[in-house]
Amino acid sequence: MKTQSAIQTLVSETGGWVAAQLEACIRCGMCAEACHFYQATGNPEYAPVWKIELLRRAYEQRFSVSGRVKVALGLERPISDADISRWSTIDYEACTMCNKCALVCPMGIDLGTLIHGVREALSAAEAVPADLMAAVQKQVTEGSPLGVTDAVFDQRMEWIADEWEVELPIDVKGAETLVVFSSIEIMKFPGNVAAIAKILHKAGEKWTLSRKGREVVNFGFYEGSPERTVMFMKRVFDAAKELGVKRILVTECGHAYDALRWNAANMMEVPVGIEVTHIAGELWNYIREGRIKVKRGALDGGGTITFHDACKIQRRGGFIREPREVLGVLAPQAFHEMTPNREEAVCCGGGGGVIAIKEADPNRYAAFELKIEQLRAVGAKTVTMTCSNCRLQFTDCVTHFGLGVKVAGLSELVAEAME
Amino acid sequence: MNWNSALEFARGPFFYAALIIFIGGMTYRFVRVLLLGWKPDKVPGKGSKLGGVAVSYLKGLIIWPFIPWVKNTFTRNPLIYLAGGLFHLSLFTVLILGTTHMLVWKSLLGFGWPTLPLPIVDWMAAAGIAAMIALAINRLIHPVLKLLTGAAEWLNLLLVFLPMITGYILTHHLFFPYEMGFTIHMMTVNILLIWIPFSRIAHFMFYFFSRTIHGAQFGKRAVTP
Repeated sequence: MKTQSAIQTLVSETGGWVAAQLEACIRCGMCAEACHFYQATGNPEYAPVWKIELLRRAYEQRFSVSGRVKVALGLERPISDADISRWSTIDYEACTMCNKCALVCPMGIDLGTLIHGVREALSAAEAVPADLMAAVQKQVTEGSPLGVTDAVFDQRMEWIADEWEVELPIDVKGAETLVVFSSIEIMKFPGNVAAIAKILHKAGEKWTLSRKGREVVNFGFYEGSPERTVMFMKRVFDAAKELGVKRILVTECGHAYDALRWNAANMMEVPVGIEVTHIAGELWNYIREGRIKVKRGALDGGGTITFHDACKIQRRGGFIREPREVLGVLAPQAFHEMTPNREEAVCCGGGGGVIAIKEADPNRYAAFELKIEQLRAVGAKTVTMTCSNCRLQFTDCVTHFGLGVKVAGLSELVAEAME
Repeated sequence: MNWNSALEFARGPFFYAALIIFIGGMTYRFVRVLLLGWKPDKVPGKGSKLGGVAVSYLKGLIIWPFIPWVKNTFTRNPLIYLAGGLFHLSLFTVLILGTTHMLVWKSLLGFGWPTLPLPIVDWMAAAGIAAMIALAINRLIHPVLKLLTGAAEWLNLLLVFLPMITGYILTHHLFFPYEMGFTIHMMTVNILLIWIPFSRIAHFMFYFFSRTIHGAQFGKRAVTP
């Protein structure tokens, strides 16, 4: 265990804005009310404030008078190996980095970002859960955590093109938009790939896929390793530069969008003049601008349909209104909201790498029970979303709990309703 | 014991010394945090940072502390949120709009302002004390707070509670002769002032950092803070 590297990381990432937020915490514990893992299990160690305890200790013991006095008096111990492995369990297996806690904190502390900081330290200490680390390594060596190598990519795209009778342009120079799918879509929800391709063609978009930038998922970001996060983002940006596109369109993947859109510019040199956007916003743009025509009310009559907000695309991505506008057109009668929703939505429980860690399964299923409550309350027959990681969690849990709910990507619903 | 001279000391040199330690300590903490450095944010926004900050303060200062049901998350146990809000409202009302406290401000700043009638201030003080007791009980029984609460947290509660309760006793002329009650009140105030820079009660200053960061981060993403 490289505990010293962890402490080093914690101390070095504590700039003024982190320190100010740590100082603002009054340890009121209200953030626990926001955390689906705490709510589902009642384990007080899952309170978001406790998840950043290592960061607080490292900061106070290094920078504050009271922290040093506490250590000198033996009231508090320096961070130990045991602490590192304990917080590895808490921060990777019981946190999806959904950041709902930040909304609930009376001081407005951006807890999700601070928890990501703790993950950075745990990653520096090489204390990442084995399952997650295996996926990260696979992305380093094969280019994708789900094993989408060049050969697999070609094979899958050829098959999808045949099966859904849709053209999938690859490595087309002069295209305006580089579309990057997540391997979850490529391997598990190929219908989504076909649907998005159909929509883009219909909208008259000049787009292309890329072999080099074939994977948008960023397991380095889950892990909290800045080095690997940048490595994976660079593959996408390099592909975009080589193809000379004007923008990168992230498909139904949340964490990847968070990394590319909201973190890349602060972590690395990003190519100038390339915009990063998300399909959730584009779907509404196409409908609004009349670039695609959809049948109004196409989804009415099939029972209640509801929308699940993905933490990284809605609460942290800003596409809260757009999917609702789309559903307002597709299902003006059948669309009903779960409560709470929008920026206050309850997380699916599978994001942030949690679904990749076998040991986290009990937490993941427990958290999903909150979602089941919400689905039952609204009487949902169909639940749709714009994140394939959420969708993976929903699909798995629908089977696990034997629920009679259809899970669909929003792009698929739009493609089906296209005239 | 001569309570008159004790009072002179408690409201004179000791009070000013406590005030200097308080201001010096808070300045030190403020500067120390600033000196840790601030990375510029190079990410282009989707929404307005400034707008986010404005909403963040509006919610943080006015709506959220007093109306727990504006956030769905809190429908489960609104009592604690109401208690937290009420405590702060009480604290600021008594400290700023109570006549005796205004006179202290006047002696320090050189100008005064209109105050509230004593019965209103008195009821606010009682409400603040009740809220504080509720918060203390919650800290004793809530599983998360048990985990988070150490000696420092209890000391914070105690040192804030003492000036409040002794102030209340003083106003109602209970238990002690006036000079003695006043002396005790001033001593507890001085101890609190000295303790604040060493404690998390200093959150009132860092509140403005964290709420600004929060508003900017959410506003940047075009999400309501």
